[in-house]
Amino acid sequence: MIQIIQILILGIALGGVYALMSSGMTLIFGVMRIVNLAHSAFIVLAAYLAFFVFKTFNIDPILSMVITMPAMFLVGIVYYRLVFASRADNPRFSDLTVLITFATGLVIEGVLAFIFTGIYRSTTPTYAKTSLNIGPFFIPESQLYALIISVLLIVSLWLFMRYTRIGNAIRATMQNRNAAQVVGVNVRWISTLSFGIGLAMAGAAGSLLSFVFTFYPAKHIAWIGMIMCLVVLGGMGSLVGALVSSFLLATAAAYVNFYLGAAWSPITFYLSLFLILLFRPQGLFGKKVEG
Amino acid sequence: MGTLVIENVVAGYGSGPNILKGLSLTVESGKAYCIIGPNGAGKSTLIKVIAGLLKPREGKISFKGEDITQLRADQVLQRGLCYVPSDRSLFPDMTVKENLRMGGYVMRDSRLVDQRIDELFAMFPILKEKSSQMAKTLSGGQQQLASIARAMVLKPEMIMLDEPSLGLSPKVVQQIFGTITSLRDQGLTILLVEQNARKGLQIADVGVVLDLGTNSFEAPACDVLNDPRIQELYLGKRHQDVAAEECK
Repeated sequence: MIQIIQILILGIALGGVYALMSSGMTLIFGVMRIVNLAHSAFIVLAAYLAFFVFKTFNIDPILSMVITMPAMFLVGIVYYRLVFASRADNPRFSDLTVLITFATGLVIEGVLAFIFTGIYRSTTPTYAKTSLNIGPFFIPESQLYALIISVLLIVSLWLFMRYTRIGNAIRATMQNRNAAQVVGVNVRWISTLSFGIGLAMAGAAGSLLSFVFTFYPAKHIAWIGMIMCLVVLGGMGSLVGALVSSFLLATAAAYVNFYLGAAWSPITFYLSLFLILLFRPQGLFGKKVEG
Repeated sequence: MGTLVIENVVAGYGSGPNILKGLSLTVESGKAYCIIGPNGAGKSTLIKVIAGLLKPREGKISFKGEDITQLRADQVLQRGLCYVPSDRSLFPDMTVKENLRMGGYVMRDSRLVDQRIDELFAMFPILKEKSSQMAKTLSGGQQQLASIARAMVLKPEMIMLDEPSLGLSPKVVQQIFGTITSLRDQGLTILLVEQNARKGLQIADVGVVLDLGTNSFEAPACDVLNDPRIQELYLGKRHQDVAAEECK
């Protein structure tokens, strides 16, 4: 029994980070219909940025979020303006973005490998090695902090979307792009901003991941598969969906990992993707695509 | 001196052909205009160009003496010219009230927006009743009302409606036209695009016939309604069984 609860704790702790990793991707898809296959590459890029400032200036990786988030926000805005803005009216825009972002991911991987080599990296703040014990249970301190910060960030994003004028404009654009234009929302500006916010979330995820996992330039290939599963399971474009599916799958994967071995853990994600596409292709919280 | 003056407007989508081919039209303040014409004549395109959602390739549009040809959609709205699109485009997963709030998006003063929404709730009690329901749960007619109310949040001087009767049952169409008539009686300038030519012309002051991207005919709505050519082409009437149409 103790073991079962212990695994649940570890699963939930990872779920928070997964949710942060997928939140940016689902936002970017929801607003702009961009399938951002480079999302995990941007997360790895941010992790390297956190690693770099940790090694060079001894800046704590949690604190490094004040650097990675604005930096990735800017990267997002420039990237959207350069690559996507002029193509947004293309009838096959979503198809295009799959190829463009995949190529972007490979470019980021190549550049990172060139600068940092392929060695496994992680940041090593003091809390990366200690665990908290509560009764018979333990939770690695690093995962606890990552969980708390991830949930705080996602809740803030949700509140922003729900209660601010710009957040409402973003939701309106997600739900009906034409109607948003009719009421005077500058859809182009909102798209640029949303892409920036999506990558800022990737930036935060990179900072937190840097002390939770080890990473190397090609790591994004493994992560994008996982993130895609989470986003599709939650319903593409749904923030709440990404959050719920992250906790569900992280916990499920933790049990599979314990009872069947680590090799089976990724299968949890792909099997659930397979099942959801078979029985509820719009995802848990997604909208049925019409027409 | 018209409120809205459209001069030789040429427009089309992307790199496609011209849909509007040098269209000119003057809309006078406080009157209701009904634009009819076959599919592809450019009726919806004309409204999009006026609303600032599509930039014309040539020509000039001015509203109350000001050139609005190059303005963005939000700037056109701020000048009191609102647009109700044809597909009743609401935000499906927002409540009716949130939808109306989005109508006041360009206003920034949220208290003023809420005040306007209360006034509109008094005007459309059914929307007040449904105010916290998701827009997607409304019936077609209620959605159309919400869509009109959303445009009215800005207290516009002129409202453009694109096919308000599309896909609605005759009874509901009757109600929607009743609403449009009451807006007209409040002194709003109305530009109505309507497939249901008879209904549209009955509540309009002026009828405009668009054909192949130009303004082919403009006359008092009553005359258009009783013109034998129009009756044959758009009202489905044979020339011989013409009886005088009821009109305003």
